[in-house]
Amino acid sequence: MSGSRSKSIVLWTLVTIALVTLSAPTIVVLGASFTGGNIITFPPDGLSLRWYARISQASDLRNAFLRTLQVATVCTIVAIPVGTLAGIALAKYAVRFEKTIQIYLLLPFTIPLIGSGIGLMLIFGNAGILGQLWPVGIACCVINLPFMIWAVTASATGLDPDLELAAANCGAPPLQVFFSVTLPAVMPGVITGSLLMFILALNEFLVSLLLVDARIVTLPVLIYNSIRSIITPDLAAISVVFIACSGVAVFLLDRLVGLDIFLKSK
Amino acid sequence: MRAARTAYPLKWRIMDALEGVATAVWPARFRHATPYLMLLPAVLLVGLLVLGLIQIADASLRTLDTTTFQFSDDYSIANFRRALTEPLFLVVAQRSLVAALIVTVVTLVFAFPYAYLMVRTRSPGLRKFLLVALFLPFFIGQVVRAYGWLIILGNQGMVNEALGLVGVAPMRLIYNYPAVLFGLVQYMLPFAVLMLAPALTAIPEELEAAAGSLGANWVRTFIHVVLPLARPGFIGAGVVVLTLSLTDFAVPAILGGGSQDFIANAIYDQFFRTSDQGLGAMLALMLVALGSILVGLVFALFGAGTLAMGRSRA
Repeated sequence: MSGSRSKSIVLWTLVTIALVTLSAPTIVVLGASFTGGNIITFPPDGLSLRWYARISQASDLRNAFLRTLQVATVCTIVAIPVGTLAGIALAKYAVRFEKTIQIYLLLPFTIPLIGSGIGLMLIFGNAGILGQLWPVGIACCVINLPFMIWAVTASATGLDPDLELAAANCGAPPLQVFFSVTLPAVMPGVITGSLLMFILALNEFLVSLLLVDARIVTLPVLIYNSIRSIITPDLAAISVVFIACSGVAVFLLDRLVGLDIFLKSK
Repeated sequence: MRAARTAYPLKWRIMDALEGVATAVWPARFRHATPYLMLLPAVLLVGLLVLGLIQIADASLRTLDTTTFQFSDDYSIANFRRALTEPLFLVVAQRSLVAALIVTVVTLVFAFPYAYLMVRTRSPGLRKFLLVALFLPFFIGQVVRAYGWLIILGNQGMVNEALGLVGVAPMRLIYNYPAVLFGLVQYMLPFAVLMLAPALTAIPEELEAAAGSLGANWVRTFIHVVLPLARPGFIGAGVVVLTLSLTDFAVPAILGGGSQDFIANAIYDQFFRTSDQGLGAMLALMLVALGSILVGLVFALFGAGTLAMGRSRA
């Protein structure tokens, strides 16, 4: 980076503030989960793992976490084929009404979450499937689908169409071209997209809040309901589950496709 | 027999069978329609949202009879009139809009240097660190992050405890407007940086060097070279931050403590506290319209920026 000293000072000041703001909640939640006292204080009352022991005993927390995993799994399994096919179609072919289709597929982002959530709540309610887990997974898939399509189109535009023609020329039928040439080429996008879909569904709060009832409450909703009453360190210990999941997702993303992929210009 | 099997492995047989099925179901003369077939599942899935909007529109035109708690069979625009005239909704709408604008500006001010440093730094280690510091909170839900702020800023939170140690009386740092704004900025930063970064990568570093060698200092280089060229990124980031913060629910609910409701909280209350589905649906519909108008306005004025999907690049 070229530039003067004043430039570095201004840049670094702003970036440091941003870094502190970004990291503070994570660090504090981590720290609070190891506190020895009954309430969260500063400085903490010594270190202990008692809150972890407490949450590992609580079956409602464990069940809520398992339900959340189930929702995220349904979301990802649906999103992979749907998003991959749509992404390849958008990136490779000159589709008629392309602009209209693009705007239509961006609807999940342009419709506010509260609107999408209430709309889905009404139609799932009419269909009599409210109170089950898989519709929550479908809902999470719908509202985040553009992320999946995006990730796939980004890697599909790097695919040379001549490669597919060459494969076809060598006698490969259409499905084989798809599985041997097209799909491997967009694989980084599929991996990025499915990781995003999984982690976003794991964390999805508002749409879950609207679609679950007390029997099938998911972990983010459970945490939200408990925050309202009193702040105790057991909540911090559960929150660490999410921090750990996030850490794993960042690690996988970096290992499998490299985080730098998000810096690439389109 | 055995030799024949090894020469023609099982995988090939399966592929042949699949190809056979594929050509039977989707003959080659349909080839030109293949992209539409590939788009169909996504179109159907997003169709759920359209169906949902139709349901909301239907519910929004039915009024609640407060004596029988039944919804009317015939349509009226009474809910629309109530949504526009009740002072509470006007206060909430104004609070959300002002917040969205402030949050967008503040977020962009901090996101730009972050993205710039991340893209331009020569050190791969620093870049990796900045990326991880960005993605870690991005992948931790809103609820957990807001909970972290409660621990830090709460009445018995860390800041107040620390102030108490040096003899300063506890202050109320949460359940007010600035706390909500602060929480929203923190929530939006990763979105904004990720939308800005590709636009900055697209700017050749030589352009900045050229501006420098022509005598521009870094401030002028930023104003006349970098910022104008980064416009697609600012549009993408601005639209995402504006709409997400305008319609947010969790941050106002947790850090506002019920006193700083945004539009989404008001809608939720109509559905689950007051049980007036019609009015809630009308408010939801108006929020959808407001969001779409804002997005449409920005796109019409500036193009889709880094938000564009597919082949055409705006």
